Amino acid sequence: MNTAALVIVACAAVLFILRMLRGPALADRVISSDGFISTVVIAVTIASVRADSGVVEGTVLVVALGGFVGTAVLARFIERRGS
Amino acid sequence: MGGFFDTVGGLFMISGALFALLAGIGVHKFRDPYSRMHAAAKSPTLGLVLVAIGAGLVARSLGAVLTLVLVVVLQLLTSPVATHLAARAVHMRVRVPQDGPDELEVDESR
Repeated sequence: MNTAALVIVACAAVLFILRMLRGPALADRVISSDGFISTVVIAVTIASVRADSGVVEGTVLVVALGGFVGTAVLARFIERRGS
Repeated sequence: MGGFFDTVGGLFMISGALFALLAGIGVHKFRDPYSRMHAAAKSPTLGLVLVAIGAGLVARSLGAVLTLVLVVVLQLLTSPVATHLAARAVHMRVRVPQDGPDELEVDESR
């Protein structure tokens, strides 16, 4: 059952990456990278249950925080530089 | 009893994963940055909440549940802020084709 959930999340990640590659504006790439990071958080949560160890759950926190900082920085970059 | 919790947790995780897939389809299909943002921001958050509930039901340990609660609270706090920043950047810098008059611009010029 965990494997099925992981496969579904992988399909979602592929769709986000396709939008990231196609653009067209830089803002579209930033938005889809934000959604992609959320998808990675979901995937690591499922994987932590699959691995059945307490170590992996700390990773979820780090990825979530890093994703927020990354999106904020990229948004500031677009405001400064233009699309 | 343990098997029952595992099954329910697995179902929660699959429904959360389906919400992530919905977000991916939306980001891929929608036609301008604002509607893509709408898809990319909200449904992965609900998906993460469902997956965290499922993971807590499967793991059933205090440390795991506390970490998952922390993750969900963090995501609920940071996801709207990040999307707001992205929307602000799009409004300031990207020309989005509109069906009618741009209502935001009409409001600002008043």
